[in-house]
Amino acid sequence: MFAQSNRWFWHGVFIAVLLGMALLIQSSSSHINYNWNWQVVKPYLINTDPLPVFASEEGTISANATGDLVLRTDAGDEILNLSAYPELSVGEGDLVFEGEQLASQPNWQMGPLLKGLVVTIEISIYSLILAIILGLIFGLMRVSSNVALRNLAITYVEIIRGTPLLVQIFIFYFFIGTVLDLDRFTAGVIALAVFSGAYVAEITRGGIQSIPKGQMEAARSVGMTYIQAMRYVILPQAFKRVLPPLAGQFINLIKDSSLVSVIAITDLTKAGREVVAGSFAPFEVWFTVALLYLVLTSSLSWGVQRLEKRLAASD
Amino acid sequence: MTRDYQGNDMIIAKNVEKIYPNGCHALKKVSATVRRGEVVVIVGPSGSGKSTFLRTLNQLETINGGSISIDGTDMYDKKTDINQLREEVGMVFQGFNLFPHMDALGNVMLAPIKVAKRNKADVERQAMELLTKVGLQQRMANYPSNLSGGQQQRVAIARALAMKPNIMLFDEPTSALDPEMVGEVLDVMKSLAADGMTMVVVTHEMGFAREVADRVLFMEDGQLLVDETPEAFFDNPSNPRLQQFLSMIL
Repeated sequence: MFAQSNRWFWHGVFIAVLLGMALLIQSSSSHINYNWNWQVVKPYLINTDPLPVFASEEGTISANATGDLVLRTDAGDEILNLSAYPELSVGEGDLVFEGEQLASQPNWQMGPLLKGLVVTIEISIYSLILAIILGLIFGLMRVSSNVALRNLAITYVEIIRGTPLLVQIFIFYFFIGTVLDLDRFTAGVIALAVFSGAYVAEITRGGIQSIPKGQMEAARSVGMTYIQAMRYVILPQAFKRVLPPLAGQFINLIKDSSLVSVIAITDLTKAGREVVAGSFAPFEVWFTVALLYLVLTSSLSWGVQRLEKRLAASD
Repeated sequence: MTRDYQGNDMIIAKNVEKIYPNGCHALKKVSATVRRGEVVVIVGPSGSGKSTFLRTLNQLETINGGSISIDGTDMYDKKTDINQLREEVGMVFQGFNLFPHMDALGNVMLAPIKVAKRNKADVERQAMELLTKVGLQQRMANYPSNLSGGQQQRVAIARALAMKPNIMLFDEPTSALDPEMVGEVLDVMKSLAADGMTMVVVTHEMGFAREVADRVLFMEDGQLLVDETPEAFFDNPSNPRLQQFLSMIL
């Protein structure tokens, strides 16, 4: 009973602190005379402006046999039935010219922020897949008994971990991208993948080395080759162990993808910058951008947690 | 015990040398022969090289000198496929080393399907037979984490037998077990011996050695000092080191 009431007390403290911080943001923004206007952000997320419908030829509006309003050319051909559009800007008997607006169509389009989100998701997925492949290859090379393979893997990891991602993106775009004639999207994806791949390689190595030596020996003793033993015995076990650090790395990858905006890829961050310039609502837009990143990363970590639970069957 | 050895030598080890990279001289000119159907038990104090010697017999340890041939095949011949050779040599480890991400049946079936590429239905039938033989018909769907040590070791034996080996190596198979579980594993090993399996067993179970072994080998300090029948080994030990060893453990 006592422990229970204590718990509710600390829940209360948690909520109070959050409210206090919200209040602090509120009061500090009013201190600088900032007018919060969240409505501004909406069209940048989802654009619901109706699409105009134009006349493709000149003609007259008249009713046809079934009573629908239609656009008829002077020759008498019915070229457009207007009954499908809820909002008409013309009436029966009107003469219209080519290019005149006849009606508007309800419309539902992604705003720049959502488009940026889609680009961020695309970049993240491509580079994530590539990073897994690179990480697996270099992780396996790192634990190989072959000195050449091992040293290559060490060199890769050390170079990538020792230089800033921003610099790597510039190098990939301006140098490698120019040499190999890559477009900016590909260059960005590869830069991110190569960067994350180094960390995934280290995670993979740790996972493989955490599996007891006896597992490899048992697998080899029943006649498996090294590759079979890795594939059927070591890696499935290692995968389970590396899931948590891997999830952390992938969340980093999503966040780091914001850096590709420096090579003019219109991802979520760059879209945010552009929208701020047009909307004069920097606070709202950046908070929205942050929230969208948060949605992305938290759904990823939720998915990984689900996977972990499912793989825990044999524990 | 008398058995039909059919006259051929399954394992011939000649002057086997093992020196670890750290300089430890683990095996010094060890020579031994195991005939078909024979059960050979190796005993000796810890660090004497008996496990190392056993592990050289399926090349889990490479050797630095001498030669080993398994069923007429020279292990270190360039043309020898070590993976194929290992299929003929089953191994049971002190620590069981079951694959924890697979249930008992999966552990037994993995190698026959992936390595021997045998038909899955056949393999499953055979795996169930093997698990029944080691007394685990009720535990086939259990993961290793839900099996006792003795049960895990019996699964490990079934896993090794699934590749239809001609030779079985046992590396202290009962040393990691609680005392009440030692018996069940030894019983499985005894029935294997009775079936005529060629076995090399490193163990501290002197009762097993005396009862089941055709020959008992004594190793100390990387050297093979005694190679005798159990009677001569236990009742009339001539080697002073062996006498000292036996006086400590019996």
